[in-house]
Amino acid sequence: MQVFKLYMKIIRRNIPIMLVYVITFLVVALIMSSSMVKEQKKVASFERTKSKVAFIAEENSPLIDGFREELGKIANFIELPDETEALQDALYFRKVSYILRIPKGFTEGFMKGENVQMEKTVVPDSFSNAYIDLCIDKYFNTARLYINQMKGITQESLVQSLRLDLSESASVEVKTYGDEPADYRYGNYFFNYLSYSLFAVIIQGMGVLMLVFNNQDLKRRNTCSPVSINSINLQFLLANLVFTISSWLIMVIFTICCSSVSFLIGNLVRGYEAISAISNVVTIGPCFISGAFVPQELLGESVLRIASFTPTYWYVKANNQIAQLTRFGLLAFFAVSLVVVKKRRFE
Amino acid sequence: MIINARNLVKRYGDLVALDHLSFSVKEGEIFGLLGPNGSGKTTAINCILSLLKYDNGEVEIFGETMTPDAYHIKRNIGIVMQNVAVYNELTVYENIDYFCGLYVRDKNLKKRLVDEAVEFVGLNEFTRFYPKKLSGGLLRRLNIACGFAHRPKLIIMDEPTVAIDPQSRNRILEGILELNREGATIIYTSHYMEEVEKICSRIMILDKGKAIATGTKDELKAMITLGEKITVESYGVTEEQLKRMRSLPNIVSVDYRDQVLEVKSGKGKNNLETVLDFIKKEGIQFGKIYCELPTLNDVFLELTGKELRD
Ligand SMILES: Nc1ncnc2c1ncn2[C@@H]1O[C@H](COP(=O)(O)OP(=O)(O)OP(=O)(O)O)[C@@H](O)[C@H]1O
Ligand SMILES: [Mg+2]
Repeated sequence: MQVFKLYMKIIRRNIPIMLVYVITFLVVALIMSSSMVKEQKKVASFERTKSKVAFIAEENSPLIDGFREELGKIANFIELPDETEALQDALYFRKVSYILRIPKGFTEGFMKGENVQMEKTVVPDSFSNAYIDLCIDKYFNTARLYINQMKGITQESLVQSLRLDLSESASVEVKTYGDEPADYRYGNYFFNYLSYSLFAVIIQGMGVLMLVFNNQDLKRRNTCSPVSINSINLQFLLANLVFTISSWLIMVIFTICCSSVSFLIGNLVRGYEAISAISNVVTIGPCFISGAFVPQELLGESVLRIASFTPTYWYVKANNQIAQLTRFGLLAFFAVSLVVVKKRRFE
Repeated sequence: MIINARNLVKRYGDLVALDHLSFSVKEGEIFGLLGPNGSGKTTAINCILSLLKYDNGEVEIFGETMTPDAYHIKRNIGIVMQNVAVYNELTVYENIDYFCGLYVRDKNLKKRLVDEAVEFVGLNEFTRFYPKKLSGGLLRRLNIACGFAHRPKLIIMDEPTVAIDPQSRNRILEGILELNREGATIIYTSHYMEEVEKICSRIMILDKGKAIATGTKDELKAMITLGEKITVESYGVTEEQLKRMRSLPNIVSVDYRDQVLEVKSGKGKNNLETVLDFIKKEGIQFGKIYCELPTLNDVFLELTGKELRD
């Protein structure tokens, strides 16, 4: 197995270069995974979005309080001082997307059935504003219905009735296309992405092997030895196979670990910003303590013990092990079935 | 007989690289293949080793026909290629260990042999170096160590000393003599005649793929008419004197250029005396006098009409 061992050694010498790809993969994989979790949450669950509204009422009445309460279900109220400049700034910086002003005498006019108006200032083209418009229309149209039908209704009973009417809400069920569960697509994405870095690593590794193997001088020198050409070719192929399969295995195992961690984060954390913050901590932390950047030999024992709870530790360790791989066992079986040997003397 | 090659013909298109080349190598010799660049030395070796298909002829090594899959023959051959063939990804030690391991299975034996080889070529301090970090001379030594570490019966070296400094070269030549003393038969190719003259017990001179002469260095020198080359620094030699000198007994040629008188004599004794007597008698003023025996270069010059050195 002299030739096989030789190629294993050559691969080992090239591991630093390959690690660059792997680390790139690692970082991108985690970033991707957290964004995938986000994506998935959007698709798989329904949540009402709340837009930010500045609610400025120039008068107080039970009707307006009731309206405010109702609007509160779909909007977050932002307190702003009632100054033109402050309001414009708030809109501009998207502190609020909707400014609603209820003028003095609104309640009285409305109760009398007069045509009264509210003032609105909005961020253009915002879909959530349409939602608020809808809510306002719904509230006051229903109210007008009561006022027209029940002459002399008090504001209090009007608000009471409205509250009852509007508390009905539709339940929303989200369907994804096809029969595929969201989880499957998520995993699928990973394996697709895996191909990039696997490809890079394998090209790097095999490229070096091929270069060495095809060197004419070395080929001749090896041909002078009592090891048969068939055996040399076979061992070379075997080395390639072992390298390929182990790179794949490392990557897959690592990917599975890293997606499950991301999945966990995605499930525990709510809010977009939190996810990216955590993903950074989770990625870089373990990478550091488990020797992705600094060789494991240089790290303290206690650090490594902690690191052994992270997938990166095992990943790096497996990598080192593979590098030292001299025995191969079962994999030989795969190699043999693929061998096509060219017997050729050099011209 | 260690090697017996008969009628080897190798063509590269129109170019005949080996032209009916026949030779044999006896056990225990250092057999020199001497020839200028492009004379077919490397081609001859590659054919002997069945690394190249040849158009005609046959090769026997250790009394058996050599074929590409004669692995039992290959087991007893060590080869040092003209182009350094080592793995840049392996250290000095690992390289020797790898090549030795192609021949030797036994781990302990292999370790001993590798250590010996390292010692032999004096690379002890460099075992952990990568080939890229070695100087040209050290790299050549590594190449040589990789070739003979398994202690084969026959070692073939193709210009192992090309492009290295005189010290490294002497060391390597000593090493080759040592290997030979320990029982290895050696084939040594070179275009440096001094080297070949120094270490080879028998020499074949190659030119344009043909063997133009084979024998010990004395036999080769005996083949030519030149006996001695006498060089005299002298002043004011006239054409007339040169003419009379040429008619002296056993003098082959006389040249006078830049106040140096070059006299070539045929075989025989007292040539120097004859020349000196003549100079004294004619009253020619002279300075230094050298007397040289013919070199392989002279042999080559006389047999082919051109210098061995290019
Ligand atoms: N692969 C090839 N294709 C065509 N011609 C070749 C090839 N290899 C060698 N030759 C030619 O064959 C002749 C002999 O080459 P060879 O390498 O045997 O010479 P050499 O004596 O080893 O020279 P050197 O001292 O430079 O090593 C040369 O003229 C060379 O150009
Ligand atoms: Mg050559």
